[in-house]
Amino acid sequence: MPWSDISGRYLRGARLASYALAAVLAGTEIVILALALNPNVNADYRAYYIDRTTTCLNRDAVGSYTLGETVSFRSDGAKKAAGMRVCGWSGPVADGTHSLGETSRLRLKIPPLHDSVTATLQMAAAIRPPQVTQRIIISVNGVRVHAVTLSGKEPRTVSFVIPTAALAEARILDVAFDYLDGIPPSSAASNIYKRAIKLLSFRLDPVEPG
Amino acid sequence: MALEAVARPNAGGRFVAVAVVAVPLAFVVSGLAIRYAAFASVSAEPGFAAYAQALCRWDCAWYVGISEHGYERFPIPGQSNVGRWGFFPLYPMLVAAIRSVFRFPTILVASITSIACSYAACLVAWPLLEKNMRAYVLYCAFLLSGPFSYHFTTFLTEPLFVLLTSCVFLALKRSSYLAAGLSSALLSATRLVGVLVVFATVIQMFTDYRAKGGSTLSFPRWLLGRPDLLVAIFISPAGLFAYILFLYLTIGDGFAFLHVQRAFGRVPGNPLAFIWDGFSAVPTTGWLPTAPQWSALAALIGLALSAVLAVRRQYGAALFCACCIILPLITNLASMVRYVVGLAPLTILLAMLSSASKLTFLAALALFLGACYFMTVAWIGGYLALV
Repeated sequence: MPWSDISGRYLRGARLASYALAAVLAGTEIVILALALNPNVNADYRAYYIDRTTTCLNRDAVGSYTLGETVSFRSDGAKKAAGMRVCGWSGPVADGTHSLGETSRLRLKIPPLHDSVTATLQMAAAIRPPQVTQRIIISVNGVRVHAVTLSGKEPRTVSFVIPTAALAEARILDVAFDYLDGIPPSSAASNIYKRAIKLLSFRLDPVEPG
Repeated sequence: MALEAVARPNAGGRFVAVAVVAVPLAFVVSGLAIRYAAFASVSAEPGFAAYAQALCRWDCAWYVGISEHGYERFPIPGQSNVGRWGFFPLYPMLVAAIRSVFRFPTILVASITSIACSYAACLVAWPLLEKNMRAYVLYCAFLLSGPFSYHFTTFLTEPLFVLLTSCVFLALKRSSYLAAGLSSALLSATRLVGVLVVFATVIQMFTDYRAKGGSTLSFPRWLLGRPDLLVAIFISPAGLFAYILFLYLTIGDGFAFLHVQRAFGRVPGNPLAFIWDGFSAVPTTGWLPTAPQWSALAALIGLALSAVLAVRRQYGAALFCACCIILPLITNLASMVRYVVGLAPLTILLAMLSSASKLTFLAALALFLGACYFMTVAWIGGYLALV
């Protein structure tokens, strides 16, 4: 057999193998790209990282709580408050726990409740003129229960009733704070850095009959 | 006589070979001495371990974490929003592999590996510098004893990135496309922008084809008829795709390295506006430029040097460098100084330009060595947030 035939066959084989390798590489990359374009993640991950519809990445944090107990969100109550904080908070520092982003959440384990409860929160607005007020919408277990506008730097006590409709014999109280007027640190900054309130304390009491 | 004529070039060749090996080694030693002196001036704790730890700032801690613990799944432990997914795996993997053999603290292993990578990058750059000894000396001084040498001697991706970039461009210079493709694959697993070097490969293929008399229109058909070149192109992003697959299998999101940028507060914007904002961040006290001003200046210098590369008909390198600057600039100026000084084609060009005359060579050398001390002090002290 002439050498030219052998080298010719070898070259043809090498070309075919190279084409096959290139096709495998390209095919694999297309498949991986297709997988990446269809992420298999839970709703919390998708909302925060992909869709960017929330600044508050939900976590499975649940704090213990006893009705009638006042939980401090200043430095002195750090340990107790830490378990209740789900997302959207920074601190605590001396003047309270600061909100971070456009939503903050607290979650606490409660005994089964058949009647409404009163929530009492001490909060102060984050202010930077011309933004001198902060509008906050508070929801419990997905039900809007209160809206408040804070103004001035001094802390203010905010009380509202959480109706039984929001409790519905739930063992968990999920409290969400949505901020309509959060202040970004700069015009180009991400909305995850917006500041709206400082939470100083939180308390729940049974509503007195009559 | 004839023997002498043969022996002299050989002796000259041996001298050059020794110089090529010895010059970066000398700058390894001088760089260590200068940076250690800077460290000693601000730290009471002596020793190489303390020195290596002091230089490990900003993103370095992330790479130490990846090297020691790998990547987190979701949800991230410790109720954090910020996963390590944004930091590419090849260099931490390399350090972890070396640490499994030499059981020393991660930062020690990483610092020595970084110095070794930077040393190797110098050797690879020798032919890229057209075997110009003055330029070579400046390049080695810049990498190993220069003002930003801490980037190339601590646990950041820059040492490996510079080495692999140099390997790619050396392979392209020699038209070794498969070697370029394999180096590119590793580069794309080192930093995200590494994948962009594939465009430099295609441009070099096109340039070589045109040099052989091929027409522009027939290039795609010619390329499809060269399966070896197709393999080189498709293997180039293999490192990135491997990482995407890993993230998909562990987190469920192949693009987690992009999506996690939200937790770092990176927001897409106008690169020109970011540069303008950077320059506008004037110091409130003193006259030293602020970190944003340094970053904006680095971006502009990097883009200007990319333009010079284009003027010198190094289109692939120019496009690669410009993209490596503009892409991160879309989100903000963070890490811009590191990104620019870590672009080997730019620093090689800078060394070539600075070595044009003996005077500029000496001035640049003195500047590099002198600035090494002060910039290291600034880096350790955190005065310059040159992440």
